[in-house]
Amino acid sequence: MIIAACALLFASLFVYVFAPVANLAHGEQKSRLTYLRERKDVIYENLRDLNFEFKAGKFPEPDYIAMRAGLEDEAAQVLAEIDSLERASAQIR
Amino acid sequence: MALFGSFALILALVLSFYSMAAGAFALYMGPRADRLAETARRAGIATFIAVVAAAVALVVSVLNNDFSLEYIREHSNIALPTAYKFAALWSGQEGSLLFWALLLSAYAFVVRVKYRVDVKLTAYASVILAAVQFFFLLLVNFPAPPFALAKGTIPADGNGLNPLLQYPEMVIHPPMLYLGYVGMAVPFAFALGALIMRYPGEKWIHITRRWTMVAWLFLTCGIFLGAHWAYSVLGWGGYWGWDPVENASVLPWLTGTAFLHSVMMQEKRGMMKVWNVWLIFITFLLSIFGTFLTRSGVVSSVHAFANSPIGSWFLTFLAIIFAFCLFSYIKNRAHLKSENKLESLVSRESSFLFNNLVLLASCFAILWGTLFPVLSEFVQGKKVTVGPPFFNNVNIPIGLFLLFLTAVGPLLAWRSTSFDSVKRNFAIPAALALLTAIALIAGGMRPWEEAANFYALMAITLSVLVFASISSEFIRGARVIRGHTGIGWAASLVQLTRRNTRRYGGYIVHYGVLVICIGFAGAAFNQTNEQELGLNDSMAIGKYTLVCRKYTQDDTPNYGTELAILDVYENGKKLETMYPERRFYKSSQQPSSMVAIRSTIQEDLYLVYAGKNPDNDKPIIKAHLNPLVSWIWTGVWIIVIGTFVCLAPNLPAALAAPRKPAAGQAPSASNGNGSASSSSSPPRDTVEVGK
Repeated sequence: MIIAACALLFASLFVYVFAPVANLAHGEQKSRLTYLRERKDVIYENLRDLNFEFKAGKFPEPDYIAMRAGLEDEAAQVLAEIDSLERASAQIR
Repeated sequence: MALFGSFALILALVLSFYSMAAGAFALYMGPRADRLAETARRAGIATFIAVVAAAVALVVSVLNNDFSLEYIREHSNIALPTAYKFAALWSGQEGSLLFWALLLSAYAFVVRVKYRVDVKLTAYASVILAAVQFFFLLLVNFPAPPFALAKGTIPADGNGLNPLLQYPEMVIHPPMLYLGYVGMAVPFAFALGALIMRYPGEKWIHITRRWTMVAWLFLTCGIFLGAHWAYSVLGWGGYWGWDPVENASVLPWLTGTAFLHSVMMQEKRGMMKVWNVWLIFITFLLSIFGTFLTRSGVVSSVHAFANSPIGSWFLTFLAIIFAFCLFSYIKNRAHLKSENKLESLVSRESSFLFNNLVLLASCFAILWGTLFPVLSEFVQGKKVTVGPPFFNNVNIPIGLFLLFLTAVGPLLAWRSTSFDSVKRNFAIPAALALLTAIALIAGGMRPWEEAANFYALMAITLSVLVFASISSEFIRGARVIRGHTGIGWAASLVQLTRRNTRRYGGYIVHYGVLVICIGFAGAAFNQTNEQELGLNDSMAIGKYTLVCRKYTQDDTPNYGTELAILDVYENGKKLETMYPERRFYKSSQQPSSMVAIRSTIQEDLYLVYAGKNPDNDKPIIKAHLNPLVSWIWTGVWIIVIGTFVCLAPNLPAALAAPRKPAAGQAPSASNGNGSASSSSSPPRDTVEVGK
């Protein structure tokens, strides 16, 4: 009985591991462009946070303007790089 | 069953090796080896099934009182209640290692099933998890096999479970702690995998954020359940004794807490990448180190298992992991370059940085104190033990500074905070904290007389500062939502929290922390009294009078017991009857205290049956009056709630309450967030409430 249980466990796990798979999931290499798009989303979220905190009265206006300008500069750099990468990939295609 | 269990463990070992080796080879080969990678993933899943089969075999053997197995003979007996028989799975060296392997396999199973979240990164993480699984399965197959047969004749009954473990919390404390320890393997595996593959961006943090929080929550619950167990069972009146194994559980908790905070800097500003990677590496290494301390017998502890050669296995494993992490870091360190720098010391970033430094300082001090006996023996040939005063003297000031940072952090801005902003945000919380300190001194607290009083005053004052600063965050946020949508205060607070569960759930966790700190502060005012109590004799402690109504003995199949029946009076009015008890377990021939506790929000009345006078058989009762202890357990519940909130997904903007219509304007179908709420367009001049 115990031997049969061991054999059953072995056989079922062997079949599960080595059975052919119809649809294999392929791991794609993450590109710089994907990363920049993620980064852009984060910066936008930071901007929304900042707006909300300003509305909540946490910062005086001069602080808010300076912080907002900093984040917008960051966003502009990311957007510029996204743009150039997208153009480059369009030219290759 | 022994044969089936042993077979399942060997099968699991082979499968984990295949998952590791085939997975690594497939990653090296790239897309050409996708089929091989899939078999490696499936072998990982199959490992879980084989380990479950082994664990089930052991539990069935315990429930069937199969004393032909050495492990069951040592850790169970026929009269042991079923729940404790089940707990025998993790009450000894071999079983608890099998339990480790089981939990690790379960975590790895979920990672492998959810692999589509990022196929390649998960493949790396899966290989690393398989390597850790392989190590633990090596242990349970060779140096610590749970299915080893007993030598000599099979006894009619076993030696029974350690009496200290025969307590309800002991059924859940070790699994919680192990779930925490083992859970740290998942973010570790993803972090190491992301480093090896030079994964661009911070998505690995998003993937592992919930894993880390779940592991951290289990570790927190495990630590405090252990503290509650020590308080209720060990009978010395305290909940934390700085025992080496207790310390070992706190070490990864401290670095894990630091990691949970500092990853926010990486996500938000692309900073501290090296720091974060090493924090999670160290957290995992400390989890393994804690397991090593418990198992090697290298330090003396009430928790430690017997001296065993297994320690050298753990040391070797720790050395291999550290070397591999260091190699991966050196090879790929260019990938971890920060995108931004710290711009000001008065900023949210710097508060996180200080928080991390303080947590690590505490971690180092505890590690140093824990290992000091070993180090002193190595250097001087003489074992010098470091006691609770060292740990308290170092950690209380650190804890107070941490509490201060908890109050300050949320009120600071990212990048830099102006003096104007500091003044605007801190005036009310600081005034409330100052008023609290004045009120406490006016109420009779004398911080200049004793260090304990000073620390208690600081803990309560800083807790008020934390409470006020976090509450101001909730109130300000709710006010914006209220103004924006027109809904009531309570609904605004709920919506605020649901809009950004991570942030406001985190604040709820901080509420829990401050409640715990107030509970800790109560220890400065503990009182103790010990007295022999004959029939109708009384003793006083604080405002209570205890009167002995009876002392008696009883007998059960599992243990014999002596107990005292005591009536508790306050100002002549009877409050309740308490039953402190001392048990003597028959199989293990060991005594154990069953403490009687009357817990209120103000204090705990804690009674211990300390023994009896051999001349007259009268019980000796030790009474402790411990103020504010219930605050500690309440704080843990608040932390649990806060973490659950953090784990919940944010409320989608589309489900948010509609914007309050302007005068003379019909309510629109818009959710009030404007088009800029989409993450793909810049949020110029818009407010997405609560985000």
